[in-house]
Amino acid sequence: MSPLLRAELLKLRTTRTFVALVGASLALSLLVVVLTGLLSDESGPQDARDLFTADFTGLFIMLLGVIGMAGEWRHRTITGTVLAAPDRLRMMGAKVVAYAAAGVVLSLIVTATIMLVGTIILSSRGFDTVALSDLLDVLWRNLLVAALVGGLGVCIGGLIRNQVVAIIGVLIIGFVMEPALFGLVPEVARFGPTQGAPAGIQDVEPFGDDTPLLSPAVAVLVMLGWIAAFFTAAAVRLKRRDLV
Amino acid sequence: MAPVEVRDLSKRFGSVLAVDNLSFDIEAGRVTAFLGPNGAGKSTTLRALLGLVRPSAGTATFEGHNYDELERPSTKVGAVLEDAAFHPGRTARNHLRVLAATGEHPFARVDTVLADVGLTEAANRRVGGYSMGMRQRLGIAAALLGDPEVLILDEPTNGLDPPGIVWMRGLLREQASRGRAVLVSSHLLSEVAQSVDDVVVISRGRLRGHGTLESVLGGDEGLVTAVRAQDDERLSRALRSAGFTVQRSGDGLLVPGASPEEVGVVAGDAGVYLVALAPQTRSLEQAFLALTGELTAP
Repeated sequence: MSPLLRAELLKLRTTRTFVALVGASLALSLLVVVLTGLLSDESGPQDARDLFTADFTGLFIMLLGVIGMAGEWRHRTITGTVLAAPDRLRMMGAKVVAYAAAGVVLSLIVTATIMLVGTIILSSRGFDTVALSDLLDVLWRNLLVAALVGGLGVCIGGLIRNQVVAIIGVLIIGFVMEPALFGLVPEVARFGPTQGAPAGIQDVEPFGDDTPLLSPAVAVLVMLGWIAAFFTAAAVRLKRRDLV
Repeated sequence: MAPVEVRDLSKRFGSVLAVDNLSFDIEAGRVTAFLGPNGAGKSTTLRALLGLVRPSAGTATFEGHNYDELERPSTKVGAVLEDAAFHPGRTARNHLRVLAATGEHPFARVDTVLADVGLTEAANRRVGGYSMGMRQRLGIAAALLGDPEVLILDEPTNGLDPPGIVWMRGLLREQASRGRAVLVSSHLLSEVAQSVDDVVVISRGRLRGHGTLESVLGGDEGLVTAVRAQDDERLSRALRSAGFTVQRSGDGLLVPGASPEEVGVVAGDAGVYLVALAPQTRSLEQAFLALTGELTAP
């Protein structure tokens, strides 16, 4: 593991932000799974599969990445970070990898927990549960999405340095713009970075319509494209900027 | 090659020329004060040296290398900038562990530098609860983590209480005695005068003086000799003939730029008996202010 990556992972572990976001994500995802499991009149394996996919981790992981990078400006720690790691592009690259890894950890905790709790609730009510192979299929898709949105969050935070503006921007894109696009031009919305492309990887229809999603492979490429675009824009800005 | 070399450095921010064609070196084993009033361009120069701002012209290097070209920079250069900031939710120990990981230093080094700066007891407290002086000490601990060859401190006494200032002076001397090159910026000469060997004085971005403390701020140009003679008029003419300027002061004369010995020789050659002869060195502060243009000569 490179020293920069090690340092970024240590940064993540040594503040309360990561634990708080894991807790919030877990609580919300569990709430949805428990309520749906207890209140549903009927549930088949596909319903349960969709339930385990439709968690809140993606949003929280993206916000974690945004906070991780934009927070360097908010707390004015960017100067110390660049002094310790003068190659600014390598520093940001290490952050992208670290937050991708953090996303995987967060998603693993949340997905495994809701699968366990959801399966217990469904089986206790006599509903069909999801086969282990399908659970593993859901798991790897969730982990892949988590890694990609974690890295994308860092790039967004690198481009939009005002942490509040960056967070609100992500929320508006995720909850307003992309849903609206799905209603208006779904063939465009499926390329979106917060809902469209992740849904293609996870193979779920985010708004219950019959819009054809991107295939998982294409969706991964689209997400990588978003990351590359935001990383390049953020890197150019970071490289040129005087830290006064 | 000097540990720190600044050559023809200029930095312009829009219409403001913050640093104007600045050149100086600092030497190993010596403490160099980087002096100038607020807004003189000190912090901009240090940030250019540390690769945080891009020079408009010129270079600022460590043994000929830009900061961002250094292998494991924390082993070469330790820096504490004026606005050193820390994540408020992270403890001091964890802050240093992050830096140790980046610089590939053993974590045991963290406890060593915490002890060096007197923060062992507070090491596991979140930095958000630290006083300004404690933050300053933490910044210094971070700078010392890699046991660097060059130490750069920007206004290091800000926030320190009197014992802290004494401690800081001791630290500067101790680092220099170990062969380190120490560059310490300040807008208050009195804060650093007791512990520095050399000074670089700038004002409005331009170099105003560079050399030992005495040669720049207390040397010949700062010397004024006060003299009284039985015949002041004859002595005054003789001194002017010898190339000195003479000012009348009360019932005597002031001769800027002349030592008492030089005045005595002129008086002897002219056959003038002296009644009083004494050096009047300007205070360091007066010399500093005059050099930086902050004090108008009477």
